[in-house]
Amino acid sequence: MQFLKPSVSLLLLVAVVFSLNTKFGSVPPLGKFFDPDAGFWANAEIDVPESREVELNGTKQSTSVFYDERRVPHIFAESDYDLYYAQGYVTAQDRLFQMELQTYDAAGRLSEIVGKQTLGRDKGTRRRGMPYGAEKAFKEMEKDPEVLNVLTAYADGANAYISSLSHKDYPVEYKILDISPEEWTPIKTAHLLKNMTRMLAGGNSDDRTSNTLEYFGADFIEKFFSTKPALNDPIIPESKKWDFKPIPVQKPDSLFVPASAVELGEYELPEGVGSNNWAVSGEKTKSGFPILANDPHLSLSLPSIWYEVQLHAPGVNTYGVSLQGVPGVIIGFNENVAWGVTNVAADVMDWYEIKFRDESQKEYWHDGQWKPTTMRIEEIQVRGEETVLDTVIYTHHGPVTESKSRINPEREPAYHALRWIAHEPSVELKTFYGLNRAKNYDDYVSALSYYVAPAQNFVFGSNEGDIAIWVNGKFPNKWKNQGRTVSDGTDPLYDWQGWIPHDHNPHVKNPERGFVSSANQESAAPDYPYYIDDDFAPFERGRRINDRLRAMDDIITKDMQSLQMDTYSYHAATILPQMLEWIQEDSLNESELEKLKLVEEWDFYNDAEKVAPSIFRTWWRNLEDAIFDDEYATTKAILRFPPRDRITEVLKSEPDYEFIDDINTEQVETLNERVTYAFKKTISAIENALGEENEKWKWGYFVNNDIDHLAAIPGFGAQNVFAGGGSESVNATRGGNGPSWRMVVELGPEVKGYGVYPGGASGNPGSPNYDSLLETWRTGGLFELNFMKEKPSNYLYKIDIK
Amino acid sequence: MLLTLIYIIAAYLVNLFLPWWSVAILGLILGFTFKLKPLASFGWGFLALLILWSGQALFINIGNDGIMAGRIAEMLGVQSPLLMVLLTGVIGGVVGGLSTLCGSLWNFKRSRSTMKRK
Repeated sequence: MQFLKPSVSLLLLVAVVFSLNTKFGSVPPLGKFFDPDAGFWANAEIDVPESREVELNGTKQSTSVFYDERRVPHIFAESDYDLYYAQGYVTAQDRLFQMELQTYDAAGRLSEIVGKQTLGRDKGTRRRGMPYGAEKAFKEMEKDPEVLNVLTAYADGANAYISSLSHKDYPVEYKILDISPEEWTPIKTAHLLKNMTRMLAGGNSDDRTSNTLEYFGADFIEKFFSTKPALNDPIIPESKKWDFKPIPVQKPDSLFVPASAVELGEYELPEGVGSNNWAVSGEKTKSGFPILANDPHLSLSLPSIWYEVQLHAPGVNTYGVSLQGVPGVIIGFNENVAWGVTNVAADVMDWYEIKFRDESQKEYWHDGQWKPTTMRIEEIQVRGEETVLDTVIYTHHGPVTESKSRINPEREPAYHALRWIAHEPSVELKTFYGLNRAKNYDDYVSALSYYVAPAQNFVFGSNEGDIAIWVNGKFPNKWKNQGRTVSDGTDPLYDWQGWIPHDHNPHVKNPERGFVSSANQESAAPDYPYYIDDDFAPFERGRRINDRLRAMDDIITKDMQSLQMDTYSYHAATILPQMLEWIQEDSLNESELEKLKLVEEWDFYNDAEKVAPSIFRTWWRNLEDAIFDDEYATTKAILRFPPRDRITEVLKSEPDYEFIDDINTEQVETLNERVTYAFKKTISAIENALGEENEKWKWGYFVNNDIDHLAAIPGFGAQNVFAGGGSESVNATRGGNGPSWRMVVELGPEVKGYGVYPGGASGNPGSPNYDSLLETWRTGGLFELNFMKEKPSNYLYKIDIK
Repeated sequence: MLLTLIYIIAAYLVNLFLPWWSVAILGLILGFTFKLKPLASFGWGFLALLILWSGQALFINIGNDGIMAGRIAEMLGVQSPLLMVLLTGVIGGVVGGLSTLCGSLWNFKRSRSTMKRK
């Protein structure tokens, strides 16, 4: 009996220690996590790191990394290998969790570290062929010795850092998830680049367009999707003449009608991935040299998607922002040139309805014969569970998905194959390697020729005085509107029959107007002989940028900075005066009239402290709903919604357009009635949600700018960042989306760069440098970038890698 | 009291190099050696790691301006970084107290002598 008490107490102790060392659900192992020596407390940064020497036996010659006061690393190396080795090392040091999480996600491996909650996402990632594409891309990369050297060096550097870590040193997210970092392999860079393609060119509305065509007819499609707004101001100005003979492409006689209303909805891209860039020629600047600006808009997160770095080695000296896990600078400048990117909404993702011979899915019908499919077995490891095997069938189009339908389930199973640019072998790295070293326009064009996806508008300026923009990427040569609806998987005329040659891509160098610009709008004027897409961003941002640049002279950096912060709403300016005319004021009560007055007095700028943008935005949404919702509710099929710039035009030119009437009522509603109804609904909805007019009505709060942590860990983001902007404004900040990096570069004998991003160099939530740049970003400031020509004598601290 | 002092110093040193649960083994040894009554053994052990862990956490928290603890507190749905300091101390205390208690119970010389007295 004497052993009973001690035994029980020992068991209890073991049980307690074991529990405190184990993760339950999303609760980290508490003992391990709260341990003041190696738990999260170890991630609380206290002092500036000391300068130090690390012996890694990795670099060939000694390499130095100097950190400036914003903690930007400036790497000075003696060879390419050493340079990218050091970049891999310092990036891992600041952003390891981000590097790994993004690649786990891109490879469809999240469940390995998270558990079965992410199994659905992993299956989706694999079924759309992300790892398949990355493997193909990596094979292509390996063939190029220069690229392979860069990739290997980067991986070696990252691994030198990773292998130096013990549990205590892991980023805090590893401790929360109770995992360890794994080895960094060069193919992970390919995964990350494919992830960019998913983010920027991973959506389409083929199913929606097909359904809309079926339910609302060809006139509706023509009116809202084929017709372009009169205010369109394409990226390549209309003055550009196309002096090549386009490669012909063969078109089917009639458009394929899919077997059923299909739902492939997860592939829709939200508006939010958009961006601005421009370059003005020396004729328009005070210095006489070009100035270039770029602000890529993305869903904002902490840590930021970007990491600032300077890379200096024989043959290269470049500064800009990089992506975690990708060697080189993606957006930036060197001593001779600057470049920046915005997304091209090219249609490079198409669905094909597939006819299998039988249930075995071993053969499918194409071009008059049964062709064999191939099979790829995806092995998904799941934390704490058994490994899941998922078989994916491939046709020559790409991976096949079984699609659902709410409309005609009797037609199920329906199968759709995905043809997607991300499945192409590609070496985008070569483009950035080239741009980092480019000396002039020719170097820039030759670097761009290697680029496949995601297609970008690459803006360019050089200290030779050239400015240019290329709508750049590998584009399938399509017949007009090919692939905007679901395609016929049996007919080769629906295949991507070839490619637009690189030098036929829309581009312009030194146009007469003295500037080039892009804001995701239409790539080129209607006389451009190839079809790229029917779904570019509304004209608003692009036209505003061009209006302002046309009017500017003697430009200095401040002018570019103020244009990046411009919150003017072309949309409001185009439609609001009409809405104010249409509204029936006599049916508004006193409080509504008061609010209406706010909108009447508004100057169309989406500024944070104004209330009018909140009312206008909601009013417009309610008006759209009042016009279209009744018709859209007549079917359960998912339909494509018209772009706001075309709705605006249609309402103005056809005030008795048939969709305006609410089909659920006996009487016929007029536009005046609908506008008034939408306004009343707006005021009551905002009052219900936020109470009588107060601080929260202000646009800067109303728009809910939450910058969340990458893995959405509560407390690790920045909530309610009070800032102006809007999706139709040049400053596209809203709802946690917006400018992920603002950069202005003055070219000339002494190139000068300015920039800011909403975050900080450190990926450690326990460091003051995690979000130290956020306030400057929010208020529209820019930092002068420390572009060094030689090793500095002043720096915060340094690391010597031997 | 002496147990507490020795435990604080020893646990601090051991935890610098070994995983956190090594402090439990240390507590077992100290509890065994000191032959205290169970309740006293628990109390002094609890106090030792409460002081050590919350002290270390407090020191870090001040140097870090509460950034890390503030974020962790928000993650756990509470608002105060100081609560994280306290929680750290309590977790340490529970492990410390349980292990010294357990150590003392296994020392049968002590157990028998208490029984005799009864």
